[in-house]
This record gives sequence, structure tokens and C-alpha cells, in this order.
Amino acid sequence: FSAEDEINLLVIVVDVNPIWWGQQAQREPELTLSKCLDAVMVLGNSHMAMTRTNKLAVIASHCQDSHFLYPNKNWRGGDNGGEDASSSGDGKYELLSVANNLIAEEIRNVMTKKVEGRQTFLLSSLIMLSNWHGVSYRYLLMLPFLFSVGQEIKSRILVVKAAEDCARQYMNFMNVIFAAQKQNILIDACVLDSDSGLLQQACDITGGLYLKIPQKIALAQYLLWVFLPDSEQRSQLVLPPPAHVDYRAACFCHRNLIEIGYVCSVCLSIFCNFSPICTTCETAFKIQLPQMVKPKKKKLKQST
Amino acid sequence: MASLSEEVLLVVKKVRQRKQDGTLYLMAERIAWGPEGKDRFTVSHLYADIRCQKISPDGKAKIQLQLILHTGESTTFHFSNESSALKDRDAAKELLQQLLPKFKKKANKELEEKNRMLQEDPVLFQLYKDLVVSQVISADEFWANRLGDMNNSDPTPYNNKQDVGISGAFLADIRPQTDGCNGLRYNLTADIIESIFRTYPAVKQKYGENVPHNLTEKEFWTRFFQSHYFHRDRINTGTQDIFSECAKQDEKGLKSMVVQGVKNPLVDLLSLEDKTLDEGYGVSTTTPSTSNANRTVKESSNAAIIKRFNHHSAMVLAAGSRKGETPTDQASETSSTDGNSRDSDFFQPPVRLQEAIEYEDLQRENRLKTVALNLKKSDRYAHGPVPLQSQHYTTSQDIINSVNHIRHEMVNYKPNLTQVLSSTAASSAITALSPGGVLMMTGTQQAINQMIPTEVQGELKHLYAAAGELLRHFWSCFPVNSPFLEEKLTGHLEEMLQTAYSKFHVWQTRRMLRKT
Repeated sequence: FSAEDEINLLVIVVDVNPIWWGQQAQREPELTLSKCLDAVMVLGNSHMAMTRTNKLAVIASHCQDSHFLYPNKNWRGGDNGGEDASSSGDGKYELLSVANNLIAEEIRNVMTKKVEGRQTFLLSSLIMLSNWHGVSYRYLLMLPFLFSVGQEIKSRILVVKAAEDCARQYMNFMNVIFAAQKQNILIDACVLDSDSGLLQQACDITGGLYLKIPQKIALAQYLLWVFLPDSEQRSQLVLPPPAHVDYRAACFCHRNLIEIGYVCSVCLSIFCNFSPICTTCETAFKIQLPQMVKPKKKKLKQST
Repeated sequence: MASLSEEVLLVVKKVRQRKQDGTLYLMAERIAWGPEGKDRFTVSHLYADIRCQKISPDGKAKIQLQLILHTGESTTFHFSNESSALKDRDAAKELLQQLLPKFKKKANKELEEKNRMLQEDPVLFQLYKDLVVSQVISADEFWANRLGDMNNSDPTPYNNKQDVGISGAFLADIRPQTDGCNGLRYNLTADIIESIFRTYPAVKQKYGENVPHNLTEKEFWTRFFQSHYFHRDRINTGTQDIFSECAKQDEKGLKSMVVQGVKNPLVDLLSLEDKTLDEGYGVSTTTPSTSNANRTVKESSNAAIIKRFNHHSAMVLAAGSRKGETPTDQASETSSTDGNSRDSDFFQPPVRLQEAIEYEDLQRENRLKTVALNLKKSDRYAHGPVPLQSQHYTTSQDIINSVNHIRHEMVNYKPNLTQVLSSTAASSAITALSPGGVLMMTGTQQAINQMIPTEVQGELKHLYAAAGELLRHFWSCFPVNSPFLEEKLTGHLEEMLQTAYSKFHVWQTRRMLRKT
């Protein structure tokens, strides 16, 4: 077993929420979705160029679902790549050009697909992290069967996130995080706009890196500097320190983040104020109040 | 100190202590020694304080007796009477051996327990040193909650001694030694006597009846050994023998045992007999008859011995299972002289068989009754710790515009990988990521436990633990429902906290001084 036999898989999950990107295009035209995808492609190419045995997967996360950009159903494997008519003529490593073409083609399909009527865009820009996390995770699980026996695969996931968190996917998301932790899969996060508590937790639990980049136009530089090295190499590099993660729980009544609260001992639901009945499981609680000191009655003196 | 009203049990003259001649006095509750000619005692120890005694080995010239106290001190007495030193020393030792066990207080056990606890738990030991040795808390308060209820509750956890069983060979162990002149010397120890009494309650009864009214102990046992009851052949039992009754009772008991039989369904004693195959394979040519006349003398004596063996074994087993019975319980004794164990009615098949015939998964499940959780609003759990903030409001027109824009942009998407990054952007990003850059600021904070030397950390931890202990005392005073607790809170604890605080202050200043 040598280091060459080890396969390093990088899965890049790109948030292509059209609402956010559409608004972004009008807000700050320097970083458009195209430019973002270019930067991601650069990272993917670099990763594959580092070692021959590195593998790449790119997933685009849309509002309601996610799609594999690379590898996709048009991918025939490494052998037939040369027959592809659209191979670039600049002498590029075939694997890279094939990958780029596939990604470009697929993202065009994804973004220009007719949006079906029943798909409702939520009023706020939300990202459905769990869906494509589920997809990528399944992909990772399939990998040992795709390659020959005896090859170890180390994988990590990089999430490039643009829009905000969706609180309703919390449970699925946490399950995915713990599953990744058990499988030793790192989750890194590169956040473009607003901080995401869920991704912070994911990175903290699995041992990945969370970074909110200050300059969007330098996205490629950040990706290459911080997220290209894998976990072994990172121990040798000076990288941004882990962020402080807010692990506070939110109370069930107001969804405020609290540090000290009341927890029902039956159903473990968290409240910020004491109430004698738990609203989730309807258990009644009794708390001993301080005893009232009865005033002593003075004995009447008996007259002799 | 030395009161003449104490009963003096033994006086030994010519005992030296610390190279001084004197006299040793053993009294009812203590042992004392006074120098020659003087009236008072210089050395006096209560028996309760003495942990153990030691004597010098027999070969040594100096005949000494050493007393070791619980506190670890020791006192040595040298018996210097030329003629009777050894006798004196042995007499003193015997008396002490009898007296010391009586005075072993329970408090010693407590002390041992405390020592053990302190040795086993270094944290507790440190706490003890910090609080009690430096006089912040008194030792009693420290141990108040820790020893549990050693004094109050029943001491069964500590007295879980198992009863000593009876050796089956105890009678055989009394090997008689020839006395030189045609006599036999039987060595009876207390253990053997106890075994005899437990196994043969009839003998015990006889003992109770006759000693000390009619016979002395020595005479009783002499008679016992002389009687044929003891010997293997019980053919001739004279009516003068006080043990003839015992023999009759044993016969009765044996008969009733046989009648009762063994209640083990897996053992069928009645079908056990010698099965003969052929001549030469253990054949008995004549079927054994039960009438006494046909038996040879040898056969009948063999039968008698075997009968006695069986009876003896049965009695030993019965005595072993009769534990817990008080010796004065006469009624229950007589009821179980037949030797059957009490719990023979309740038969348990051996464990091996039970394992073989029972399958765990075929048996009915004995699940504990549980109460189901009744959740009314279970979707609350699914909501993550994302506060419900006001989201950006986007009109539907905005949405449609954005989507169209994107679609328009991406329809002709072609990767342009040579124009991804401008050099200015790249260099500013690198600056931000280099040490000292915007993104690297939080990393320069060093963990505090790397900045402080470990010994200071250790001392601080001990102080913290001691403070926690004091707080525990504080909180245990609530709710204040007795004047004692009130007084403790306002007076005593206040003092304790002040002492602790000043101690901390001292430590702090000392540490600060060291730094500068």
C-alpha cells in the first residue's frame, strides 16, 4: 500500500440558487455565477492535476433538488474522452478538458430548464442543503464498488454556499453531518454571503474548514489557497483558525438562542421561561416553593 | 491516672521498660507499668488503644513483649526475672490475648475506613489537606457526609462475613497422641468443640445438661472419647454411658432420614445396586438378606461403619445448612436432629441442566412496563437553532426577474478559465490569508493553559476544589429550618469562608511576588 494507491475524492457542492445569483448579478456584477463556476472549475482542475489518482465530483444545488455536474450520464469514463468532438485544442490534459466541458454543458441544462409551475420559490432565498448532501453522500458510499478492491478512498466535501440557511432541513442536515463524521469525511465550507450556523457546526464536527470570504472576486484564490490541500497537507500549513461556533440551543417557544433555560425532563424540549406544564408533552411539573413561616401564636398568660 | 479502685488482674514484677526496672500491671481496662519503688505509673495504655501485641521469638535471649498502638507508637517490655521470665511473659500475653478483643472499639474501624478512603482517592486526600489540615473545616464536618451512615444504619455491609463451615473430617483430625504410659492424649481446640456441637446437637444437649453441674469440661470430654459412642464400633453401649441416649437418637434420626429419602428427581437412589454381569465381575452369590442371623460378624460391622459414615456426613451437611440459628434455640434444634436440611423441599435443578433445557428467545419476554411518550408538537424538534429572523422580502416580480436574468446569463455559458482571477485580487486575498491578515487574527490567541506553569495551575485547581467543597457545605444548609442551621450559616460558615478567602489571598500575593 503506497500513497499513490490512495484515492482522494473531492466533492464540490455549488449553490446555484437562481434567485440569489440573479439578485447578486444586479447587486455586484463582479462575481456572477459564471465567474463562480469558473473558479470552481479551476479548483477542480487543480485537484485532478495534483495527483493522478485524485478524483473529482461536482454537484449543483438548485432550489428544490440537486444535480451531478460531473461525472454525469454523458461521461463515458477516461478512455473515450479523446473522441469527444468538443475537446479543446490547447493541449490541455484530456481529463481536465473533458471534465470542464461536461460541467459546462450540464450547468447550462440545469439553469435553463423550464421551471415547472408547481415548483414554488420561497420568498426568502433558501438553500436546500440536505438534498444534495444526501446525493453526494450516496455517491461517496457507492465509490468503493466503482473502483477495484484494495483502494482506499479518502473523501471530503466542499460546499460553496451563497444563499441563506433553511431551518426546516435541520434534522436531515445534522444526520448527514454525523454520518460524515463516522465515515471520516471532512466537510469544508466556503461562504460567499451570510454566515451559516449549520455549516459552521458541520465543519466543526467533521474537522473541516469554514471560511467566509471577504472578497468575492478573489474566490478562486481563496479556493486554491485554503481548500485545495487535503487534510494531511493542512496540518503542515498555516491556515485560517477555526471559527468560534455558536452551539447555543434555540428555545422551542420563541426560537431565541439561549444559554440558560428550562428543559423538560420527559421530552427534553427547551424553554426560556418556566411554565408549570410542558407544551410539548403536557407533563405537569411541581416546584417546591419556600415554606411559609407561620407566625407563632402567643400563649395567653393564665392569670392566677 | 492510677486509681486503686481498678481491678488488677495480673502483676508481673521485674519488668524492664526503657532500661528501667519496674512492675507491669494488667488491669480491667488498661495495662500500666511503673518503675521500681515508685507509686505512680509512667506508662499506661487503654486496651482500646492497643492495636496488637508482639512477642520476641522463643530462641532469643531477651524475653520481650511489645505493644503497638493505633497511633503507630510502640512500647516494649523486657521481662528480666531470671527464673520465670518466660512464664511471666507468656502469662501476660495470654491475658492480653483474651482482653484485647473485648475492647476493640468500632471507632477503630472508622479510622481504618477513613484512612482507606484517603489513600484510595488522591483528590479527596488533597481536599482533606487543604481544608482540614489548614483548619478551615473541622475533621468531623469533613467526614460528616462522606462516611455515610456507618454508625447509624445496620452494619451488615461490614459484617458480611461468611459463616465458617464444618470440616467433614473434624473428628478424624483429633489425632490422639500417645501419652507415654498407655494413655491417649486428645487435643481439643475450640474449633473442634464447636464443630462437634454444631454437627451433633444431641451432644451439645448433653453438655449443657451435665457441665458444669455434674462434670467438669475435662471430664465430659474424657467420657466422650471413652464412650463407645465415639468409637467406630458401637456394638456395646453400656447403659451407664451418658452418651447411650445420643446413640439411640442418632439411630432414630438415621431411620427418619432414610424414610424421607432424597427429594432430587434427577437422582434415583433406590435403583442403585450392584449389578452383576457374570462370575468374576463383582458377583455376589447369595442375595443379601436382611435378617440379622445370616449376617457374618464382619458384614454387620462393615454395615455399621458405613451407616455411621453416612450418618456423620448427613449431620455435617445438615449443620452447614442450619446456619443462622441461635445456639439457645432449643426447639429448632430438636426438630432438626434428623439431619435433613430444611430447604430440601424446594428443589432446584442444577445450573447445567437448566441452561440446556431453556432457550432464552423462546421464553416470554418480560419487558418492564413502560409509559409511552406523548408528544403533541413533535415538529418543534426538527427546527434547528436558527433564529426566526426577518427574512429579506422579495417580491414575486423580483424573483421572476432574477430567474430570467440567470437563465439568460447561463444559456451561453462557456468557461473562461484564463480570466478567472486578476493579480490585484489574488494578492489582496493572499495578504488576508497570511499571518497577520484579516482572516488570521483569531489564531494568535494562545490558550491560557499554555501561558501558565503547570504547578500554578495545579495549585489553582486545588483551591478551586476546596472552594467547591465549602460551597457544598453552604448549600447543604438550605432550606434553613432549624436554628442550628441558621447559626451555622451566619456564624460558622462565615468564618470558614473568611479563612478560605484569606488563604486564597495569601496564595495570590505569594504568586504575584514570585512573578515580580
